[in-house]
Amino acid sequence: MKEKKGRFRKIIALILYLTVIGFTIIVLYPIINVFSISLRPADRLLSTSLKIIPDGASFHAYKVLFTETPFLLWFWNSVLISLTVTATGVVLASTAGYAFSRFNFYGKKSTMVGLLVTQMFPPTMLLLPMYIMLLKLHLINSYIGVIVIYTSTALPFCVWQMKGYYDTIPFSLEEAARIDGATRWGAFRKVVLPLAAPALVITALFSFMTAWAEYVVAAQVLQDTSLFTLPLGLKQFESSMSTQWGLYAAGSLIVSIPAVALFLFLSRWLISGLTLGSVKG
Amino acid sequence: MKSTRWGIAIGHWFDSERLSTEKFAYILMAPAAIVMFGVVVYPFFYNVVISFSNMSLRHFRDWHLIGLKQYEEVFSGRIFYTVFLKTIIWTVVNVFFHVTIGVVLALILNRKLFGKAAIRTLLILPWAIPQVIVALTWRSMFNYEYGAINLFIAHYLRMAPVEWLGKPLEAFSACIITNIWLGFPFMMTIALGGLQSIPQELYEAADIDGASGWQKFWTVTAPLLRPVMIPAITLGIIWTFNNVNIIWLVSNGGEPSDQTHILVSYVYKAAFNLYRYGYAAALSMVIFVILFAFSLVFLKRTRASEVVY
Amino acid sequence: MNRRYLLWVISLVIISFSCARSTISDPHQIVIWHQMRPDERVVLDQVLNEYMKQNPGIKVTALYKETEELRSGFQIAAIGGAGPDIVYGPSDQVGPFEVMQIIMPLDTLFSRDYLLKFNPKALVYSHGHLYQIADKIGNHLMLIYNKALLPNPPRTMDELIEIGKRFTHGSSNYGLVWNYTEPYFFIPFLTGYGGWVLDSLNNPTLDTPPMVSALKFIKALRDRYRIIPKSCDYETADALFKEGKAPMIINGPWSFGDYKKAGINFGVTRIPFIKETGLWPAPMVSPVGYSINASVPSWKIPQIVKLIKYLLSPEVQLKFTNAFNTIPTRVEVYDVPSVRDNKIVRESEYQMEIGRPMPIVPELRAIWDAMRPSYQAVLGGTESPEAAAKEMQKSAVEKIKEMNE
Repeated sequence: MKEKKGRFRKIIALILYLTVIGFTIIVLYPIINVFSISLRPADRLLSTSLKIIPDGASFHAYKVLFTETPFLLWFWNSVLISLTVTATGVVLASTAGYAFSRFNFYGKKSTMVGLLVTQMFPPTMLLLPMYIMLLKLHLINSYIGVIVIYTSTALPFCVWQMKGYYDTIPFSLEEAARIDGATRWGAFRKVVLPLAAPALVITALFSFMTAWAEYVVAAQVLQDTSLFTLPLGLKQFESSMSTQWGLYAAGSLIVSIPAVALFLFLSRWLISGLTLGSVKG
Repeated sequence: MKSTRWGIAIGHWFDSERLSTEKFAYILMAPAAIVMFGVVVYPFFYNVVISFSNMSLRHFRDWHLIGLKQYEEVFSGRIFYTVFLKTIIWTVVNVFFHVTIGVVLALILNRKLFGKAAIRTLLILPWAIPQVIVALTWRSMFNYEYGAINLFIAHYLRMAPVEWLGKPLEAFSACIITNIWLGFPFMMTIALGGLQSIPQELYEAADIDGASGWQKFWTVTAPLLRPVMIPAITLGIIWTFNNVNIIWLVSNGGEPSDQTHILVSYVYKAAFNLYRYGYAAALSMVIFVILFAFSLVFLKRTRASEVVY
Repeated sequence: MNRRYLLWVISLVIISFSCARSTISDPHQIVIWHQMRPDERVVLDQVLNEYMKQNPGIKVTALYKETEELRSGFQIAAIGGAGPDIVYGPSDQVGPFEVMQIIMPLDTLFSRDYLLKFNPKALVYSHGHLYQIADKIGNHLMLIYNKALLPNPPRTMDELIEIGKRFTHGSSNYGLVWNYTEPYFFIPFLTGYGGWVLDSLNNPTLDTPPMVSALKFIKALRDRYRIIPKSCDYETADALFKEGKAPMIINGPWSFGDYKKAGINFGVTRIPFIKETGLWPAPMVSPVGYSINASVPSWKIPQIVKLIKYLLSPEVQLKFTNAFNTIPTRVEVYDVPSVRDNKIVRESEYQMEIGRPMPIVPELRAIWDAMRPSYQAVLGGTESPEAAAKEMQKSAVEKIKEMNE
């Protein structure tokens, strides 16, 4: 009986592993396709052959990308904006989320719903008034306008997420800390925040991704080519019927590297499992 | 120095009653709220006003208010209702698969697995890579004669190739498939984070009680994962409902024959191609009200805005 | 913790000092928005650098925006009284911009003598006033063929079908490829059967026998003669032609540079003659040129006019023509040997001669939107050509009514 159970377990484990591998392949195939486009000569988006390494493949596009285009400038601009948005997002969301989780105050429910409400309006029609607003505030063609808009786009989810995560951390832990003499703020910082590390990681990742890949707002606000972010820069390779697909594909792949790197860097806190054993008290 | 003074001041605040507790909460929450509402309030009211106006090609600078006429236009066309239905299908199918695939993969990745870290990182790629090139690549994969998908179907599954981009239902499915591919890593990451908050002891206790894997999932994992997944699911529904990009890019703007539309891509096309800003604003307001009503109901049912502990 | 908060606030404030005023009121800066392709931009930058050297104290910035974005971006900027000083694009954007009053009339800014130096097709008028002066005439579709596969192009449609059949085999070799699912690429066939999209009062004329015949013809090319792929969008056609799997493609002058880079020895000629009707297919021809933002302050206008005159000068036009084989607009450039003897330019002109000017009125947009769904339904087999023509007409009339409300 036990042997059967053991073999059954092993089969299940194998099936699960194959599922994951299957999904990995599904994830990788289109990406490898993009890689092929970047290697293909003569800027062809499509190809009749399924070869991964196309005929006449070369790294020419990458070379041009780094030496003949302002790619590195765009990269730096994007890093600056995205890291600012990430930091601001983490700070504001971690504090606001805590307020919503631990307190019951007047206007709480409506503010929480209000945050969600800001996401409901279809973005296409918001562009025009947003532009006029930024114009009147003299924030056109500056980073602060863009940073503020990105932060406000990312915040609702981040605040809700932090609140949801804080909800899973028992209040008894903070009470214990306060009894030991910590201030409210100290308890928050030293006890709660470390336990909420996975949620902080998600907040950071989400804020970063929101800013890193955003195009529409940046295109309307940033007019100076020296201020361009990566999505705006990549768009320069596009032209309605004459896109430089090689450069575009190469650029897109390079653009995803920092995002993946950030995930790699932060993932050890994502799966920290710090709540293990901390409930007993 | 300064920080301890602040700390002491705040500390003084809490040794008193409820009102001061509220103050602390407000301080924590204020910056986020101010940023949020400041950015969105003006554009929102601008649209409210425009939706009651006749702003369009002939009345671009000199528009004036005309009452509910734009709203009448929105509701009188039969196309509104068919596109609305399509949007609901789009949203439900997408979010269902995003969450299911995301949670399943997170559960598997939470076990002991060979190459776990590498696989986890690879699975994040759809989220990391810029959407435009990916959507266009998927579009080319759906090409009838040369696309990878039909080639796979014809060679390995020995079935007839599908006219993915030429027929309405197939085109819609193509968009959904692409969006599912793009969206599950996000839910997977959230679920991975959420799984960390579940204390190991609960699983051990369940094991002692002789629970099967399935039972353990439903009694331990799912309830504790809920508070963490609910925000993602709620916002996932709202974002998917309002997602113009993928539909637009994969179907090339609604092809075939303007059949592949959801409400927001329809707003974009009907309004921007023909400069009907008043109409677009009214349609956007209607979309907004729909989502607002939905969230109120949804939140009430899941009681997500309350304090859990 | 609070110190860190403070640091953030300070850095944000510092960043905010990088905010700029609207460039339109800056006397030392002129901004041009355009939709030129990457290779054209290289020449544009050279030309602008030359201008800045000759005119120290003025900074000219050229910003690329993709055609659709250029249109919507300019509208949004203009409504706020900002945006570029000069906008460069195809003539069909003049119609809507003029109605919205976001570009200014040019009649008083350029003398009659000056305007006489141009090919009349380069001057874009709307409601009696000049709104755009073009530096190239083009955007018209032609038959482009791979000389290595097909040394002698067809002259009649029947010849094209014969050649097409010869080259079509397997599932990836086709005689003719082109973006046939897009209405703009369908127009030459509509005109080849004697039809057109608008009448002189800007009413749609889509429900006509020529429309039905043209729709049937395209279907025949695919289903009866089978010389075009089952589904073919722009990228597919482009790839097949570049890979040498199709000897003929119907495309416009924007693709010349691309095909040259791909190493294709290509030739250009008119889209073949249709014996049935005795007509040459006439593609839409549109000039591409410069307009001025209506919000430009009057004291800045002389500078802007000076820059535009420079960009329209024979020397600059010659640079573009030599590099990209586009058709210039200054009459004197036509006699320059490198242009006169440029075979591709000559053939391109040959096609342009029998082309029809693209309407610039906003109604054209409604026509495209009305044509597309029904046209694609015919291709998909869900609607008959006759029904589709009626549907297109009805839809166009409706959309135009909605647009003009």
